[in-house]
Amino acid sequence: MALLKVTFDQKKRVKLAQGLWLMNWLSVLAGIVLFSLGLFLKIELRKRSEVMNHSESHFVPNSLISMGLLSCVFNSLAGKICYDALDPAKYAKWKPWLKPYLAVCVLFNVALFLVALCCFLLRGSLESTLAQGLKSGMKYYRDTDTPGRCFMKKTIDMLQIEFKCCGNNGFRDWFEIQWISNRYLDFSSKEVKDRIKSNVDGRYLVDGVPFSCCNPNSPRPCIQYQLTNNSAHYSYDHQTEELNLWVRGCRDALLSYYSSLMNSMGVVTLFVWLFEVTITVGLRYLHTALEGVSSPEEAEGESEGWLLEKSVPETWKAFLESLKKLGKGNQVEAGGADAGQAPEAG
Amino acid sequence: MAPVLPLVLPLQPRIRLAQGLWLFSWLLALAGGLTLLCSGYLLIQLWHLGTFLAPSCPFSALPQTALAAGAVALGTGLGGAGASRASLDAARYPPWRGVLGPLLVAGTAVGGGLLVFALGLALGLPGSLDEGLEEGLGTALAHYKDTEVPGHCHAKRLVDELQLRHQCCGRHGYKDWFGVQWVSSRYLDPSDQDVVDRIQSNVEGLYLIDGVPFSCCNPHSPRPCLQSRLSDPYAHPLFDPRQPNLNLWAQGCHGVLLGHLQSLASTLGSMLAVTFLLQVLVLLGLRYLQTALEGLGGVIDGEGETQGYLFPGGLKDMLKTAWLQGGVAPRPAPQEAPPEEEGPPEA
Repeated sequence: MALLKVTFDQKKRVKLAQGLWLMNWLSVLAGIVLFSLGLFLKIELRKRSEVMNHSESHFVPNSLISMGLLSCVFNSLAGKICYDALDPAKYAKWKPWLKPYLAVCVLFNVALFLVALCCFLLRGSLESTLAQGLKSGMKYYRDTDTPGRCFMKKTIDMLQIEFKCCGNNGFRDWFEIQWISNRYLDFSSKEVKDRIKSNVDGRYLVDGVPFSCCNPNSPRPCIQYQLTNNSAHYSYDHQTEELNLWVRGCRDALLSYYSSLMNSMGVVTLFVWLFEVTITVGLRYLHTALEGVSSPEEAEGESEGWLLEKSVPETWKAFLESLKKLGKGNQVEAGGADAGQAPEAG
Repeated sequence: MAPVLPLVLPLQPRIRLAQGLWLFSWLLALAGGLTLLCSGYLLIQLWHLGTFLAPSCPFSALPQTALAAGAVALGTGLGGAGASRASLDAARYPPWRGVLGPLLVAGTAVGGGLLVFALGLALGLPGSLDEGLEEGLGTALAHYKDTEVPGHCHAKRLVDELQLRHQCCGRHGYKDWFGVQWVSSRYLDPSDQDVVDRIQSNVEGLYLIDGVPFSCCNPHSPRPCLQSRLSDPYAHPLFDPRQPNLNLWAQGCHGVLLGHLQSLASTLGSMLAVTFLLQVLVLLGLRYLQTALEGLGGVIDGEGETQGYLFPGGLKDMLKTAWLQGGVAPRPAPQEAPPEEEGPPEA
């Protein structure tokens, strides 16, 4: 009892082959799109790898790139097969390869689905990488004369200006680290000495933020220093003031940016996956329909196409049987998942 | 009537003319499309920078005219490509016969006129940018503090974003900020003696300080940004005036914006020049092709030689014919067919 049997006459077979040929070439374009999406994500991650401690995982863009390339290769091959399917002589040389090829296609579709899922699920690891990276980035903000870290100040400033964010979780993160280098502190001043003595590590901590945290939408000129001291500024209440600095933390801003990128890529990958599944199903029907037309006299006649020759449990049992026979070492043929070859040897 | 600039065109040169014309028409369409894109981009840039250009500055006329000229050039190119393709195929030419005449007139008059006008604007207008920017930037800086005044409440945000994005400070340098009151009076403490002193120290009663807004800060500086008391060499510890000053952006926004807009205008101008050249070539070729094919009476494949020309007669003859035509037209039955476009009919 075949699974999902469909009867094909000559015209329908030809139309199926032509439609599949067109769909395969469209799918090559989709593969190129996947490749460029993966490349774009990789470049975006590389651009900001300094604030992620250079330890970000490139798994998602790498897998998108490889899936795009594989899709191009498989689909152009399938397009060639469909083009030759209309000519019995050319088709004869492809015939023995079709079954293993279809198995590989099924595996490819499963892998593509997993990659699409990964696009949605991997934001958790990105979040922890960002938190770590931003924390150390802010710690090195003042080291503008240390070789290897001298650009961290510029990177963090440009990041806060571009993404409209301040600090790791909020602007108060800047109160807990010394972001002003010792080179620019006047150690003879009493105020500096008091601040340094006021904490265990001897750091110069201020309730102030760098200029890049300033919000241009504020109606008053930016207040950067003595943020918690209401009396230091005229008509200022730090509890209610919202427009002075960016309220969002940079971890949040970067995470939502990368999440939206990866989500949209995941949606595109799902669409491509659906397209590929349709192509694989169509190719299977074409394969079985042409199997039914084994002799040239029947070329004009009707044949039947199906997805699986027997129903699902029977096919699964036959597959396990052939694996067992392989395990016993009787089969010489390589490429084991070929249930059709078992009766030949037997 | 002697035809103007006649050119004998046997079959082979006619075919080569049509093929070359097809290529040049597509090039013209490409150039017209690129001009469209470039002028669209310039329009968008001007829309963003609208607050910093004085309203009386006529600079925005350039991209608008270039947009129209590019569209007409694109249409002429597409029409020319279709006509030259059709002229190689006897079956497809007849419908194009009627279209070619109006296409040539439109292309010459409208297209050529717009292109020449746009070229003139591209040469003359960028000079007016200087005053326009001077006035516009001056107004924007003066209204920086007016964040509650309707009509000017966005000036602060726009100036800050301009200085952040284009990496510039003030009009010609950071000292421009010393001459404007950029702190709103709402946030000045009237009981503070320093504030009172500063306000009384100048005629207009402005609160002037030797400080700049945060958007002038340069992130490349190794030390946290120094924004206030910039004229006092003793105000900030360890400030070495001999070192190159990375603290604030060194460029003035006037220079940056002027360079940006002028380079866009010169790119647009060179594209307009290329489009103009291509349009002249295509229109000339189309005219010769049209008159040569009319000489064959619309039969393309004729082996005979014909003459292509620009005008059937000299200027005086043309005016006389036009006058006669004007006199003949009101009569009920026109005695003779207009002698302009039809050559000797092939019997």
